[in-house]
Parts: sequence; C-alpha cells; structure tokens
Amino acid sequence: MTALALRSLRHRLPAVAATFVAALLGTAMMASFATLLESAGGASGEDQELLIIMGGVVGGWDALIVLFSVASTVGIIADQRIREASLLRTIGALPRQVRAMIVYEAAVVTVVAAAAGAAIASIGGPALFDALQRGNLITSSSTYAGGPASLLAAAGIVALVSTVAAGISSRRATRGPAAFSLRQAEVPARGLRWWRVAIGVGLVTSGLVSAVITITVTGKSDDAYAAMQTSGSASIVVGVGLATLAPLLLRLLARPLRPLLGGSGSGHLAALNTTRRAYLLAGMLAPVIVLISGAVGTLLMVGIDSRTLTAAGDPEGVGDTITTINSVVLGMVCLFAAIMVVNAGVAVVSQRRPELDRLWRLGATSDQLRTSIVMEAAMVAAIGILLGLLGSTATAVPYSIVRHEGLIPNGQLWLAPLIAGLAAVLAVGSAWGAQRRPAR
Amino acid sequence: MADHTHALAVEGLTKRHGSGAGAVDALVGVDLSFARGTFTAIMGPSGSGKSTLLSCVAGLERPTSGRVLLEGTDVTSWDEARRTRMRRDRIGFVFQDFSLIPYLSAAENVALPARLAGRRVGAEAMRLALERVGLQSRAGHLPSALSGGQQQRVAIARALIGQPAVLLADEPTGALDSATARDVLALLRSAVDELRQTTVMVTHDPVAASYADMVVFLVDGRVSGRMTAPTADAVAAQLAHLDQLTGVAR
Repeated sequence: MTALALRSLRHRLPAVAATFVAALLGTAMMASFATLLESAGGASGEDQELLIIMGGVVGGWDALIVLFSVASTVGIIADQRIREASLLRTIGALPRQVRAMIVYEAAVVTVVAAAAGAAIASIGGPALFDALQRGNLITSSSTYAGGPASLLAAAGIVALVSTVAAGISSRRATRGPAAFSLRQAEVPARGLRWWRVAIGVGLVTSGLVSAVITITVTGKSDDAYAAMQTSGSASIVVGVGLATLAPLLLRLLARPLRPLLGGSGSGHLAALNTTRRAYLLAGMLAPVIVLISGAVGTLLMVGIDSRTLTAAGDPEGVGDTITTINSVVLGMVCLFAAIMVVNAGVAVVSQRRPELDRLWRLGATSDQLRTSIVMEAAMVAAIGILLGLLGSTATAVPYSIVRHEGLIPNGQLWLAPLIAGLAAVLAVGSAWGAQRRPAR
Repeated sequence: MADHTHALAVEGLTKRHGSGAGAVDALVGVDLSFARGTFTAIMGPSGSGKSTLLSCVAGLERPTSGRVLLEGTDVTSWDEARRTRMRRDRIGFVFQDFSLIPYLSAAENVALPARLAGRRVGAEAMRLALERVGLQSRAGHLPSALSGGQQQRVAIARALIGQPAVLLADEPTGALDSATARDVLALLRSAVDELRQTTVMVTHDPVAASYADMVVFLVDGRVSGRMTAPTADAVAAQLAHLDQLTGVAR
C-alpha cells in the first residue's frame, strides 16, 4: 500500500498541490509566530509580555485558521477518492488498507510541505521579530531566539492535524459496501457528525462569550488594549465555528435563495446541487466565511481603535505601532484565507469532473455547465458573505460599544462590501477557472 | 432518397486515433443504415470499434472521415454546441454505468434533458414515462436508494421520454446480473415493438443480442457480417468464429 500511495501521488498532482500549498503556507505562518513565543523565554518584563501576546494570542488565532484550512483541504481531497477507494476494495483491498493509503499519502505530502514551511519561517520569524523591534514594541535588549524547537513544533502540529483529518475523511471514503459506492461514485449524504456540530457550536459560543466579556469586563479596564485582547479573536473564532457548520448552514440557507437562480437548465442544476450536495460545496463555503469574518471584524476593530485611541488614553503612544502590527498580521491572515478560497474552489470543481462529463454526454452544453458552476459559486459566495459579516460583528460591535461609537462603528463601513466583493470574485473566479474544459 | 426511410445511417465512417506510426484505426469505412422502428445489436471482439461507432453517432467524438446522417440530415460537420443539442433533443442514450446524476431524484433525472433544453416535462408525461419502466412509485427516490436494475430503468425512461430519433445503448446490461438484465432487455424490446423506437445497442452478450432484430458484427473497425433473427446460440457461434478471424489477421 505504501508503494501504491506514492505512485498515486504522482498521478494526482492538482489534488496534491492543494494540500501542499495549504500546509506550506500554513506552517510558514504558524511557525513564524511560534518563534516569537520561543524568543519570549529569553526576554524580560514588557518585552516578554508582548512576545507572548504576539506569539501566543495572535499566533493562536492564526493557528486556528491554519489548522482549520489544512484539515478542510485534506477532507475535500479525501472525498475525491471515494470511487478509487471502492475500486481498490472490489479488487480485494481491505477498508483498512485503503484508509492507510489515504492517510499515508496525506502524511507524506504534509510532512514535506510543513518542513518547507518551517524553512520559510526560519526567515519569516526573524523578520517579524525585527519588525516588532523597529516598531519599538520591544526593546533592543531582547534578541531573537527562535530555533528548531518552535519551528518543528509548528510543523509537527500541521502535519499531525492533516494526518488526523485524512484519517477521519478516509473512513468516509471506505464506508458502506464497495460495489455500492463504486456504482454511485458517491456515498449518499449524511448529516454532520455530532462531534463536528459540537466543535462548531462550541467555537461560536466561545466567540460570543468573548464579545460579552469585552463589553462587560475588559472594556471597563484601565488598560486601553484589554478590550482588544478579548474582542480581537472573537470574529475569527466565530467565523471558524460557522465554517465548521458550513454543510448544515448551506443546506438551510440555499433553499430560500433557490428561486433567484431562475428556471433555466443551469439554474435548475445549480439549485439542486447547492441544497442536496451541501456537504461538497461546503468545502468552498468555509474559507469564504473565515476570510470575511476575520478580515472585516479585525479591520473594523483597527479602524475604531485609531479613531478613538486619543480619547481612550494612550499613555505609551504605541497606538500607531499596534495598528501597523495588526495590519501586517491581518494581511498575512487575509492572504492565507484568500489562497484557501481559491484552493477550495478549484478542488471542489475538479472533483466534479466525472459528473460534468456525464451531464455533457446527456446533452448539457459547455455553456450550460459553465453557467451552472458559476451560479453555484455565486450562491456559495453570497451565503459566505452573509455568514462572514454576521461573524465579523462578534468583534466589531463589542469594540465599537466599548470605544463609545455605538452599535455600529462610525467609519470604514465600506470595508465590508470591499472584502465581500473580493471574496466573491475569488470564489467565483476560481470555480470559473477550474471548469474551463469540463467535458472530456 | 433512401435516407429518409432511415432513422440513422453512417457512410464511409472512419475514425483514426492518434497519428503517425502509433495511429490506430478504430473504424475503417463503415457503411450502415438503421430503418425506423428496428432494433440492431452491434457486436464484436474488444477493440473492434463498437463503442467508437456509438460515440461518433452520438456526436461525442468527431469521425476522421465519412458521414453520420440522423433522419436524413448530415450532422457530421456540426459544431460542438449543435451536436450537444442534437444529443439532447434527438438521441436517447443508455450507458453501462447508468449515468444518473446522484443528487437528482428518479423523476428529475428523467426530466433532465428536457430541463437542459429549457422545457418542462408535464406531470402526466412523467407518470407515463415512469410507469412504462415500472417505477411510478419511485419517482422521488435518489439513485443511491435504487437497485442497479432500477437505475438502468430510470436511464431508459430518461432516454425514451424525448421520443428520440434513435436510442443508443452502450452495454446497457453490462453492470447487471442476468435476471435484471433480461428485464432491461425486455424493456428495450417493448419500446421497439410498442413505440417503434429505433434502437442501436452495443453489447458483447449473445443473450442480449438475441433480443434484437438484427446483429451487425464488427472486426477491426470493419463490418464483417450480419445476422437477422438472431438466437443466442447462433450469435455465440458467430462470435467464436470472429475471434478466430482476428487471430488470423494479427
């Protein structure tokens, strides 16, 4: 099975590339933050505190997005293998062997990608440290002390999460009798597993709790940045929570939107696909939610902060620097989330090639298939924007209240449509690009 | 013009895969015509060009040379979009793998070609179509909830509902057990007898071929013989003979 796994890797380059990119960039980001945490050990006083906040807290939100994205990508890829898994089983492979092949493959790809990502972070970590120092957030007496420990830990966590995700998804690929799934090339949809619902609901709840704590506790603190520590992560946590529940939410929300797709052949297919195959398209929906929720929530927070900082009292005069750091971190996270939107869009559409081919043989024109896929992507983007904006309020609203701007922030509301538009362009564009030649 | 009496005809049909020294001739100057309301089985050893013939007729592949005439109209030079519309509107296709869309119910699968053409299938027409294949009680089921035989019957209902000029079946019983296969073949036969549905079926199974009015044998991309009123035994004997022929030819 090991030899088979390695051979099969070479034949599925696009799928392998998706996993590789997610693990590479994810590890690069996670490990960069991890080096700050390691450097905190040798630093003193306020430097230590800041490095722990940057490495641990900010790095923690970042890790949440990274691990979610890696797990989600590996899941989409494993789902593509149901037919192959069935084929192997009909010629005598045990479900256990097929699962081992899928897990082994994911492990090989992510270990290589994570190692490369750690190498990137060995440059990115010092650069981040240097930026903090030049921004006077930490004194020149502290020195960068990131080493193999933090780099390897981050790479190890990414590889581990990816392997576990492959293990869980591989069970889905080998469920049920082999011949049955071979004929269907698709295991019938089933509801979300209880543990996934529990994780999703838990994350959303914890994000909402942070929001409440921001208003009731940290917002009243003397430290102007206490509120940011509790509310900053709320939109990311809620976003990831909603993304975990994406299949469920897509099914529920796509139904009322179905009439918008119209009664044409393409619209008909898109409407049924979004509701009945929500579990598949959810792979595309999830990163859109995370991108919009995290980016809009945090950017609005940064905007509120810079408008109200003087009034809130900024004794140390660090406001500008914090804004800069927030922007850098946010830029990285947004870029990563944007790449994940494209990654997922391409993977989901590529997975449907056999089905598109079948539709073409039955008389769907290339134009119809194209229109149908774009309609689906647009529907997914619209629902992702709705849920993402909802998630972003978990950060923006409490912070706005705490800084006395009321329920709605006083400015920069144009950020919401801008980021939503960007996410929609990415989602629809990647689906468009992936379907270029659906037939044959 | 004799063409008008034929639902389908091919003239000098040649299909070459690849080019240069590695080129393979899948079809070499095949002339065939299929009269309205007839049931023809195309047989031959593996690699004899049966499936290529069907693909060319359905417009899935473009022949290297020769003509395909559907109800007297030359469709060979039509562009991709036009051939797709022809497939949707004038050809019914039944595949070995059923080719049902997994997220559409039985009735929605049957209605799909019409939906793609921007039409809707009326409730009465749908009831009749499903009743013909004995699945009226399964209209709302997804393919995953149907047996292999039931799925193939849905596919037949889908192929018949548009009253196509010709129904093409590519190994329609290849994925079915023999009892289920007989039901499916009886269904195809009844469509020929009751609806005068011109049907062309590619098969390697002599029993399946015995349901047809005529069997055409292909060897190495050429028509090597015909048999009318076939029986399973006679077809099997002829096939064994063809295998010898190809053995000699190589």
